[in-house]
Amino acid sequence: MADFSWDVRSPLDRALVVGPYGAQGDAGLALTEIRDFDLVQVMARRGKAGAMTKATKAHFGVAAPETPKAVAAADATLIWSGPDQFLVLSKGGRHALEMLAPVFAGSASLSDQSHARALISVSGDKARATLAKLSSIDLHPGVFGVGAAAATSMDHTSVTLWRGRDRSGLAVFNLLVFATFAESLWHTILDSAAEYGVTISHSEEFA
Amino acid sequence: MRGNQANRLNDGGLIDRSAPLNFRFDGKAFSGFEGDTLASALVANGVKLVGRSFKYHRPRGILTAGSEEPNALVELRSGARREPNTKATTAELYEGLEAASQNRWPSLNFDVMSVNQLFAPIFVAGFYYKTFMWPAKFWEAIYEPAIRRAAGLGRAAGLSDPDHYDKVWAHCDVVIAGSGPAGLAAALAAGRSGARVILCEEDFVLGGRLLADGGTIDGLSAAEWVARTVAELEALPDVRIMTRTTLFGVYDGGTYGAIERVNDHLPAPPEHQVRQRLWRIVAKRCVVAAGAIERPIVFAGNDTPGVMMASAMRSYINRYAATPARRIALFTNNEDGWRTAETAIAAGLQVAAVIDARPDVSPAHRSLASKGGFPVLHGSVSGVDGGKSGVRKISVSLTGGARAEVEADGLAVSGGWNPAVGLTSYHRGRPKWRDDIAAFVPDGAPPGMVAAGAANGAFGLGACLREGFEAGATAARDAGRSGNTGSMPVADDAAFSLTPLWHVAGKGKAFVDQQHDVTASDVELAQREGFQSVEHLKRYTTLGMATDQGKTSNVAGLAIMAAVSGKSIPETGTTIYRPPYVPVAIGAFAGHHRDENFHATRLTPSHHWAAEQGAIFVDTGLWKRAQWYPRAGEKDWLESVTREVKAVRSGVGFCDVSTLGKIDVHGPDAGAFLDRVYINAFSSLAVGKARYGLMLREDGIVYDDGTTSRLAEDHYFLTTTTAKAGLVMQHLEFCRQVLFPELDVQLTSVSDQWAQFSIAGPKTRDLLKEIVDPAEDLSNEGFPFMGAREVKLRGGLKARLFRISFSGEMAFEISVPARYGEAMARNLMIAGKPFGVTPYGTEALGVMRIEKGHVAGPELNGTTTAADLGLGKMMSTKKDFIGRVMAGREALTALNRQVVVGIKPTDKARRLRSGAHIIPKGETPGPDNDQGYVTSVCFSPVLDQWIGLGLVERGRERIGEIVRAHDPLRGEDYDVELCNSVFYDPDGGRQRG
Repeated sequence: MADFSWDVRSPLDRALVVGPYGAQGDAGLALTEIRDFDLVQVMARRGKAGAMTKATKAHFGVAAPETPKAVAAADATLIWSGPDQFLVLSKGGRHALEMLAPVFAGSASLSDQSHARALISVSGDKARATLAKLSSIDLHPGVFGVGAAAATSMDHTSVTLWRGRDRSGLAVFNLLVFATFAESLWHTILDSAAEYGVTISHSEEFA
Repeated sequence: MRGNQANRLNDGGLIDRSAPLNFRFDGKAFSGFEGDTLASALVANGVKLVGRSFKYHRPRGILTAGSEEPNALVELRSGARREPNTKATTAELYEGLEAASQNRWPSLNFDVMSVNQLFAPIFVAGFYYKTFMWPAKFWEAIYEPAIRRAAGLGRAAGLSDPDHYDKVWAHCDVVIAGSGPAGLAAALAAGRSGARVILCEEDFVLGGRLLADGGTIDGLSAAEWVARTVAELEALPDVRIMTRTTLFGVYDGGTYGAIERVNDHLPAPPEHQVRQRLWRIVAKRCVVAAGAIERPIVFAGNDTPGVMMASAMRSYINRYAATPARRIALFTNNEDGWRTAETAIAAGLQVAAVIDARPDVSPAHRSLASKGGFPVLHGSVSGVDGGKSGVRKISVSLTGGARAEVEADGLAVSGGWNPAVGLTSYHRGRPKWRDDIAAFVPDGAPPGMVAAGAANGAFGLGACLREGFEAGATAARDAGRSGNTGSMPVADDAAFSLTPLWHVAGKGKAFVDQQHDVTASDVELAQREGFQSVEHLKRYTTLGMATDQGKTSNVAGLAIMAAVSGKSIPETGTTIYRPPYVPVAIGAFAGHHRDENFHATRLTPSHHWAAEQGAIFVDTGLWKRAQWYPRAGEKDWLESVTREVKAVRSGVGFCDVSTLGKIDVHGPDAGAFLDRVYINAFSSLAVGKARYGLMLREDGIVYDDGTTSRLAEDHYFLTTTTAKAGLVMQHLEFCRQVLFPELDVQLTSVSDQWAQFSIAGPKTRDLLKEIVDPAEDLSNEGFPFMGAREVKLRGGLKARLFRISFSGEMAFEISVPARYGEAMARNLMIAGKPFGVTPYGTEALGVMRIEKGHVAGPELNGTTTAADLGLGKMMSTKKDFIGRVMAGREALTALNRQVVVGIKPTDKARRLRSGAHIIPKGETPGPDNDQGYVTSVCFSPVLDQWIGLGLVERGRERIGEIVRAHDPLRGEDYDVELCNSVFYDPDGGRQRG
């Protein structure tokens, strides 16, 4: 019998080359792909938004976002994705589809999106300048604070964008892009950021 | 002073004499300084002739010092970067700059096309409508090419642009156009209020007219005040100052377009940098402080090199320390023009005379004249003696009828100022006439926008500061910012008196629009011929339609029209103003979206594996799909595809079908929902089963098809065609949210979640047994045709298995989470090795579906009904569904509709081509006898001949009939037989086996 190995391969596996890119010197942008995460779409059943909210609070200890926000729970991030729906982003299977199914039984429909998206973290001095080339969202600190989220598009590609916790005093923006578009968007981001210099990496851990 | 810059002053100006720059104009070497424009450097070098005019090839010089320049257009740079019609007046000088004059042959000095002037009588307004009418066929072959050679501007590079362009969004409370006194004051007030401010200045230095005209503000010199103000603005965190940036348009919802010339001032952009950047600025408020444009007076010879706008002359002398002439005459109809005489005297130049069209001149200016020893002539310039080497003598018609002559090598002209009303008028605004300044001023503006300063008709320095400051403060307050605006900058207002004068009658050509060579007599001719409306005047004479959009000519043109038609200027009105304010390169609008990045691309989960296998990819919408996998020695695609088909039909192959749209349909009412969107029933589908479904548009035409499986009582997994994936998702969301909100159903796109492969061929089960956990029953009983369920794979991974077939073979589709997609492709190769597994591409997929008679995109073409496709029986009569009623319309159920049928040439060796029209035997090809066409073709390895599907009138009743395939596109006409559309395994035994 043949030996089968089931290696996972990120949609950015080939396009992502770790190291510096573009202009030399101090990189203005850090671009990190976060790999191997669990992502579940939670959509309230008709008239069950209240029950879904209650179930969310009971399970995660925080309320589900009702406006475009990303809410941090102990070991998951709940990201608004539309009226009465949100995404659960986590690692290590603790909030994977099978684990959440009993939590939301009867109150929400769940759909696994773990492999449907690539997760890219954008930070650095030039993060806003780079994202301004890609997104029509106003990312001014006074407008798009920590935890702000948007379901929007970049380069004609649907993305979920949210601001994570600051790192070394700099804002961190996360974006989830559909996996089959990921390589295309990745190249567009690099094109846009080349003038600032980019440090490219990938990580198994959330930023 | 350096080299040949004979017309450079020894000191003063905003140029850096320690930074000399070499450049070439028409191959000749010159030098200038940092801070120069190409135009100012040419002025410093005494170059007066810079181009030839559009139609008459008349010698032209530099008229202005800004973006309104009609004449001094050059080809800048060379090779792929050659850029025609670049304004020398805004092009910044850089080391090694190369520029060439335009529209001359063989040289600027000796231009054979200037004989066009001799034929001037036939080049009048609308000449091409009148002169080249007959014979009609001569137009394309002879007249148009000849005119295009003779008339025109610069040459395009003709090569791909090597530079990159960017598009950027910006957001602010207040965007300000222009950094003159009004713009800077507006930025101060808004910035101090705490507003987020973007200040756009098209020049590379801030200050606007202050740079040339100076003045005293808050007791400081203009330069000191600008420096202090800019320092204050730069210290504010939310004020962004953008030089080399023109705000060129205003769009809906407070969105503004701006073009930033990031690296136009360098020979080539530094590595990784863009050439230009297009800004889309979303602003709550906008202050237009774009200033005003000095307007010429139209008189004979007004296009002679050396005739220059008075304000431009001040710019060259004061800002660039470059003297356009040694002995200057000034022709003005207003007080402001006199400043040029003051400037000339201060620079040590001679003033030959001031010709003032007004009845009175102020005592101050009289004493200036007597001190300077030059005459003040009351009257108008009626002619200019001079040619390509510039102005020599000026003829003056004195008030009262006498004539005078003035010897001068430069003539400064001021006809007053026109506020830049473009931005305020871009939403169909019509500016209003103000008699006191004889100019149009904004009359309202798009929502959120206000004009201030000279752009609003306030020409005094004090008024500009006041209006700008107040507009900035108000804009910030309206945007919700309430900080302390501090004190307003203060300056005196100079008096402004003007006697309107547009056109001085006289002998010789008097140009209104210098770039398009439109003369005053052209305007008069248009009026005589009935083109009195300004919109007609514009199109008939092409006045204002050149790259400068008539910035120096439109108002004069309509003033002349008003005079000859006996109407007032406001009665005559203005043409509609449209963006962009300055030309914007298409490359900037495209940004990164060019070449292979024209649009986003989508890659399948096995893309890189397929690339390793040497697959040839085809663009399918946004997707790159493996089309076939050539092997060494295969001579063409057909050989590869035929091998792939044979391998599947005789053994086993697989194909990545992840491009199909995939939608999770959840909820207690999922089945009821699908019953309404599909023509056939899905609520009756058992869990663990798949069913082919067809959905219609509201109008009864087929929308899309695909298989949908029931994975749980409240969970269906729906698939769409590749092409319609996004559209079907939208359609279903519309149905869910708008049409059937009462249903408890939830939709999620999972297209990207699953890597899905079709595995087909008689040895499919053998292959699957290798890879699927042995505990799973894959027998015909354990996993029958149209079964669908989750299975465990060897190694523990879970997959979904669907027993569906598009090829007509025994087949399964297997799906795994997408990050396992590449591993799946590799493992299918390993598992299938003993059975000769063959990866196949979309071509083989297409061949097998045609052999099997399955319809696809060419048949689901937006005109066909379910019955046309042979699927009419699927339309349930037990339920309602979208499109049911409209599908019953007479025309959609007519018996003579074109329906899907098989087609094969009677000559087995002949190639069938899609697009060929079906004509009955013995009939003449043409619309009357056209009975349909061939939609899909392939070479069938099974039948060893070309076959196809077609939409043919009553096709299914005519099986066996021989008809003609008429293909005028390829010049072919041959006999074909109409046949059953299912060419292969018509009873379906193979896929059920």
